[in-house]
Amino acid sequence: MTDLTPITALGGTVARSEDFGVLRLTEQPDLSLASLSLRKGQGVPSPFGLTLPGVGQSSQAGEYGAFWIGRDQWMIEAQGTQDIAAMLKAEVPEASVTEQTDGFATFEISSAGGAGPLEAVMRKLVNLDPQAFEPGAATRTTLEHISVFLVRRAEDRLAVIGMRTYAGALWHALSTAARRIGAQTDGELAK
Amino acid sequence: MTRLSKGGLIDRDARLRFSFNGTEYSGYQGDTLASALLANGVQLMGRSFKYHRPRGVFAAGSEEPNAMVTLRDGARAEPNTRATMTELYDGLSARSQNHIGSLERDLLAVNDLLSPFLAAGFYYKTFMWPKAFWEKLYEPAIRRAAGLGALSMQADPDEYDKGFLHCDLLVIGGGAAGLSAALTAGRAGAQVILADEDFALGGRLLAERDRLDGAEARDWVAITRAELDSLPNVRVMPRTTVFGVYDHGIYGAVERVADHLPTPGDKVRQTLWRITAKRAVLAAGATERHIPFADNDRPGIMLAGAMRAYANRWAVTPLKHANDPIAIFTNGDDGHRTAMDLIAHGARVLGVIDSRADAPCFGQYEVFPGATVTGTKGRQSLYAIEITRNGQSEWHSVGALGVSGGWNPNVHLASHHRGRPVWDDALLAFVPGPNGPQGLIPAGAAAGKGGVADALADGMQAAITALLEIDIAAKPIPLPQAENAPAAQEAFWHVPGKRRAWVDFQNDVTVKDIVLAHKENMRPVEHLKRWTTLGMATDQGKTSNISALAVMAELTGKTIPQTGTTIFRPPYTGVSLSVLGGGDTGPHFRPKRLTPTHHWAEAQGAEFVEVGPWMRAQYFPQPGETHWRESVDREVLAVRSGVGLCDVTTLGKIDVQGADAGEFLNRVYANMMGTLKVGMVRYGLMLREDGHCYDDGTCARLAEDHYVVTTTTANAGLVYRQMEFFRQCVWPDLDVQLISTTDAWAQIAVAGPQSRTLLQRIVDDADISNEAFPFMACRELTICGGLRARLFRISFSGELAYEVAVPARYGHALMQRLMEKGADLGVTPYGTEALGVLRIEKGHAAGAELNGQTTAQMLGLGRMVSVKKDSVGAIMSRREGLAGDKRRLVGLKPVNAQKPVAAGAHLFAKDASRDMANDQGWVTSACYSPHLDSHIALGFLEDGDTRMGEVITAANPLEGQEVTVEVVSAHFVDPEGGRLRD
Repeated sequence: MTDLTPITALGGTVARSEDFGVLRLTEQPDLSLASLSLRKGQGVPSPFGLTLPGVGQSSQAGEYGAFWIGRDQWMIEAQGTQDIAAMLKAEVPEASVTEQTDGFATFEISSAGGAGPLEAVMRKLVNLDPQAFEPGAATRTTLEHISVFLVRRAEDRLAVIGMRTYAGALWHALSTAARRIGAQTDGELAK
Repeated sequence: MTRLSKGGLIDRDARLRFSFNGTEYSGYQGDTLASALLANGVQLMGRSFKYHRPRGVFAAGSEEPNAMVTLRDGARAEPNTRATMTELYDGLSARSQNHIGSLERDLLAVNDLLSPFLAAGFYYKTFMWPKAFWEKLYEPAIRRAAGLGALSMQADPDEYDKGFLHCDLLVIGGGAAGLSAALTAGRAGAQVILADEDFALGGRLLAERDRLDGAEARDWVAITRAELDSLPNVRVMPRTTVFGVYDHGIYGAVERVADHLPTPGDKVRQTLWRITAKRAVLAAGATERHIPFADNDRPGIMLAGAMRAYANRWAVTPLKHANDPIAIFTNGDDGHRTAMDLIAHGARVLGVIDSRADAPCFGQYEVFPGATVTGTKGRQSLYAIEITRNGQSEWHSVGALGVSGGWNPNVHLASHHRGRPVWDDALLAFVPGPNGPQGLIPAGAAAGKGGVADALADGMQAAITALLEIDIAAKPIPLPQAENAPAAQEAFWHVPGKRRAWVDFQNDVTVKDIVLAHKENMRPVEHLKRWTTLGMATDQGKTSNISALAVMAELTGKTIPQTGTTIFRPPYTGVSLSVLGGGDTGPHFRPKRLTPTHHWAEAQGAEFVEVGPWMRAQYFPQPGETHWRESVDREVLAVRSGVGLCDVTTLGKIDVQGADAGEFLNRVYANMMGTLKVGMVRYGLMLREDGHCYDDGTCARLAEDHYVVTTTTANAGLVYRQMEFFRQCVWPDLDVQLISTTDAWAQIAVAGPQSRTLLQRIVDDADISNEAFPFMACRELTICGGLRARLFRISFSGELAYEVAVPARYGHALMQRLMEKGADLGVTPYGTEALGVLRIEKGHAAGAELNGQTTAQMLGLGRMVSVKKDSVGAIMSRREGLAGDKRRLVGLKPVNAQKPVAAGAHLFAKDASRDMANDQGWVTSACYSPHLDSHIALGFLEDGDTRMGEVITAANPLEGQEVTVEVVSAHFVDPEGGRLRD
């Protein structure tokens, strides 16, 4: 175990979290990521018991998750800090695996007021129809000029996974939108 | 006071105070600034653009050309705001524009006396000579005299936002057609957005006295609004202007979220929405046109339909004195509606002056058939008009005059994709043509169906048609009983005469100007527009374009459609730059990338430099250092004598895996990569398809089927994209997988003779001695007690050097650890400036040398382009011309060591004249070398490799600099390369 102390993507020693009305924005440093790419002619495997999802989708199996990021290519997620690339390579030795945990910063926007406020904040951030982006949907899109992955974890929870070096800019964009939506009344949020 | 005692959609219990030009007034909730000013008897609201003529409000909507005010004070002051679109709020403050002295006594009104000299084209012809006077004298003087409001020159204190909406049907406009379209689609369950620029829905239904189902139209509007609000699939957006149609069904819209509030508070002022709509209904209504006649621009003269709107919606007559009579001048039935409405409200009506000989009469008022208005009196407020019939003229006292020349469908959005409007002879107007934006269906008055019954039915039908195209079955809805008002009219476009008759009020263009344009052969409509400036003001000629076209048609003897029409571009009405900018200004203007050691560098007091999106430490000033050069020189010397640390995370890292990874890289790189041994690194050069150098960097082989490619910072994304293109499209048969890992690793360059000693202190158990880990070796290992890391023995500085990579979250701690462990070795952090000096001293190429114009031969790397295999750009690099380029990278040392050389300077033989024919190359990079205590430079020089020792000139004629330089090897430091191999 190294004696070096890691910092989060936002530069802190603990994850940042902030509430904006019914919305909560949270940095999630404990999500481990590795990309999985199939070799030519390789069949679709089921690492960690995951059913690797199709285009625009994500899947979940216990502590593990996966979302589609390209043809024959997925991002595999695991809760907690672990050597996910080595673990994944052990599951699918014939595939190409790349460590991605520190390539990204993961933020979650959650709503204590149901889907409405979350969808309202999505409308301010990304050119996606929130009603078509149902729980389980995953995609890559642009947010404030930054390329991000979005995974709709649930009706009221959205993961925004962006390049780690953009974490500060991403937090600014997400928190600005959340602050404005969080300040709105129920009536203003109705539509 | 000219407020009617009852009626109107105003809340008489909610009195609002406001000021105009410093005078306090009051109005009601529901008023616009224009209606509230009229209610207070204020007719004079501004001065015209060119002649400074007194002007009053002319319209009641977004087409307003005259009543332009500066709204609010201080940093929130907003010039050129239409009083007709400004929702009244308590404490509103507004000022008129474009006058010197008071609005009533504008000193620049002298321009009006000079009007015989200021006709169209005057400036073009007059201010030609002397040329030098234009910029310093004429233009500023003209700009001072002619214009609109001025900016506050203070930063906008408010927030602006942006967002995205998606729907099945976007309904643009909430009048009769728009409401019936939205209701039809809403009831069918479609996702609907209804946007209207007004703060109240209803459009002309609020301005007329039409009855729906026997009741006031406003009742139906209220019921319909309530139903739309209750439908979860309908989003009603008042105060929202859809200003443009863009590609793929995307519509631009501005929502004025807080413009109607004294200050936005915790709201944004405006939001820019990009609406992706599968289909859209254009129910934008129509704009009334006027009839130019002599002196038709006086305060008190306005569009007859606007006069109705003021009376019906705002319970106001546009008079200075409440009991003055009002006259109407029209060429059709529509003008008569105004007379009847005014009579219904108890106003005195002089009569209707109708150009038609067989003019009808619909009620108890006088009609002047076959008559025209041929003159007016009242400089700041209309008091008399001249009515001429059969050559007989007589003056009548009036307090206001309504003018109705027919209605022009608002075709603007329908012509945004070069959709040409088409002339409708029966309507005497242009209607949207068949080639407008795909998926946009005009309806109601915008399609020439302006009668209430027609508009309601047409809106419903448009929604049904639009939804059917996207497989949503919508049923007809029961529509309220309504009647179309009589709308007969004749083609009567202007009253000929000798005095000035305004066509375009905002830009002061008269019939005479059009006649002059015709005389001077500015006849095509595009020439007419530019020569006279007609339609080029902020209102884009909404009330003037068609009238001007008609006058030109008459002069040329052609029909109006033969004369042509202009089409429209976005925006439909003015859009502020603040909202187009999307909101973020200052430090968040664009997103920034921070390196893993950014916060550490910040704590050290580093100066940062923007490198593309990255913020990089430029240098680390130490106490006592007063000039950046002192810091940089110290950092450079520390690397050459001890050890330095630099965050190089910004270099692109691409993970390349697969059975054919080696073959793939052989094709991407000009040199051989397939033969690279596992555990080794090779410098690689990529060419563009045209044979020029594209990018360079190192390529490390971690396993038989696993490489890591390093790119330059600037090209990281481009090279990755290019490689993906090759993988997916050019060589799909290869087994190769790519993914970027740039951000995943914090990479720190450890450079200098003491670098190995320092690294040995943090490496866990790997042997990194020169024998075990030679120059260009790489290895995956652990450091600092088990942290996985990658170590590369590569050097950009020319010294013994390494780059160590750890998971990004540990970059900060690793930097601290290296500083701690290297204290006794003199470890020094260095920034991009020192990095640059070190590589120039070593003669390594960077962005300035790889600028897209250079070849491998020019860089002295010609032999790197392998002839044993094919690769991107290899064959093209051997073509004649490219291969024949004789310029070579050389070092340049000024004969006077302390004389700086400018990068970008051109190279000439010592006595050659400084011209293109004798140009022998250019200086790419230059710096001061503390190691050599001399300025040095790199550059490309004709036959440079054979001219060592020659003395030439680096000339910078732009700044009058000439520096005598000696041609030397590009490797100022350790040309044999012994240092990096020891």
